[in-house]
Amino acid sequence: MKYETVIGLEVHIEMATESKIFCSCSAKFGAEQNEHVCPACCGMPGMLPVVNRHVVDLGMNAGMMLNCHINRTTTFDKKSYYYPDLPSSYQTTQWFAPVAVNGTVTIETANGKKDIRIKQIHMEEDAGKLVHDDWTDTTLVDFNRTSVPLIEIVSQPDLSSAEEVVAYLERLRSLLRFAKVSECRMEQGSMRCDVNLSVRPEGSDKLGVRTEMKNMNSLSAIVRAIEYETARHIDALENGTEELVQETRRWDDIKGKSFAMRNKETAGDYRYFPDPNVMPVVIDDAWYDSIKASLPEFPEVKRARYIDAYGLSEYDADMLTQSRALCDCFEAAYAECKNAKEAANWLISDCMNILNKSQKTADQLTLDGKALGELILLVLDGKVGRGNAKKILIAMFDEKLDPAKYAEEQGFIVSNDTGAIEAIVKTVVAADPKSVADYKNGKEKALMALFGKCMRELKGNCDPQVLQKLLKDTIDSL
Amino acid sequence: MQKETLNRLQKLNQLRLTDAEETNVLSFFAAREEEMNILNSIDTETVERMVHVMPIETVVREDKVIKSFTREQLQAGAPETTDGYWQVPRLVE
Ligand SMILES: [Zn+2]
Repeated sequence: MKYETVIGLEVHIEMATESKIFCSCSAKFGAEQNEHVCPACCGMPGMLPVVNRHVVDLGMNAGMMLNCHINRTTTFDKKSYYYPDLPSSYQTTQWFAPVAVNGTVTIETANGKKDIRIKQIHMEEDAGKLVHDDWTDTTLVDFNRTSVPLIEIVSQPDLSSAEEVVAYLERLRSLLRFAKVSECRMEQGSMRCDVNLSVRPEGSDKLGVRTEMKNMNSLSAIVRAIEYETARHIDALENGTEELVQETRRWDDIKGKSFAMRNKETAGDYRYFPDPNVMPVVIDDAWYDSIKASLPEFPEVKRARYIDAYGLSEYDADMLTQSRALCDCFEAAYAECKNAKEAANWLISDCMNILNKSQKTADQLTLDGKALGELILLVLDGKVGRGNAKKILIAMFDEKLDPAKYAEEQGFIVSNDTGAIEAIVKTVVAADPKSVADYKNGKEKALMALFGKCMRELKGNCDPQVLQKLLKDTIDSL
Repeated sequence: MQKETLNRLQKLNQLRLTDAEETNVLSFFAAREEEMNILNSIDTETVERMVHVMPIETVVREDKVIKSFTREQLQAGAPETTDGYWQVPRLVE
């Protein structure tokens, strides 16, 4: 018999905010244990949560990017469970009226395009972190991550292979990075997902027994886990190797196996009820419209525009639309210099090189696009040599500066004084009769050596074409 | 309420009631259940959902970091701490 796999995903994404969802502690990753903690997020009695407005902005933003309906009155609920990483013994989340519902995400695989339905997106707080201490055989608790804002994106069971799951996660990541909702970095845990999977005979409309694998945080592990679970389910149905039960399982990527987890909680066990301490959030038209107006173009729309309107190659358009920061910088630079190819080249090669050297991603680019455009103009107008322009660019990554002013301060302005250039050319030529003779005997390379020496003497501040002409004329007249 | 449900709730809340307490709680919940049954029998089909008992909405703050208490102050009442962590008995997973 042939089988088909039915997969639904719950994706947790940490939102890019400064502060936590219900208190004013920093939400940034990487501080010393319990440095980003206050009475509210460590669950002290009597604390009162207040919603971070920007979390609602980003929740709406994500909802709109995924074509959802936005609930204009959205409320928060308590989900109770008892565990030391949850200091108040309940998580404040959204159960009855989540911020966004009923969306779609279009994915593309080798089999073509497919719409994946989104059931809902809800906003909630993250839990703390537990560390086992072998020395004292106790558990250590760090509440820095407690109350860091998350959105959970719940899909309908519309996915049917590991390939589709990867395409779906990559699409979510691309859309949410573009909308600046999150950096979605799986390796840092800012994007993790629960995989719900069942198997049924092909063509059947009844769902099989479903198992859930929690907290997956790498694409390759997700692919392996889906393949393993699918095979396990089919084996159970086909050969009766085991009885499938609805349960939560843990994926062990090193062993390449999934294991049943002991605690089996159902929705009823969480005793969801409206959190009386968090007031309902009503999204009025002005708020709704301001978020709608701030949405970026979808990456593929930008890509097509870059090719059609700016004449960029497919490669350049692909490279730029990897990252919203690159696109924003490119568009600002283009507005200034009106040369798309130059702007794309500077970003894709020079800027990416500088970022790579400091181990940063394209999304972490903070370069001022207008200033980049000014720098490109200085080069195109022959006022600054390319080598010196690259030095200016490096300085622009360290501090905000006016490229023209900086070029002047550093002595990077190309000299138009042909007399001065000629004098240097004559000195260099006189000092190197061997290269001159080589050139006259047909060795083109010898001319390049002389050219390089002159350029060094001129500190790069010379139009290469002017120099080349003067150099040739000088040698010819000997 | 059934005894089984009460046992499940005790487990979820990490409580252990004495026999006398259990009897009390069971009769208390039985009375509340009666009240709930009356409420459930009312037709609320056309009634808009009440989102909150207080007529206050959209209490939000700006996304700004404000430092409040120090770690030492927050951990002053903790039974055990080590190296800036709260320290609790080992979890069996
Ligand atoms: Zn806090």
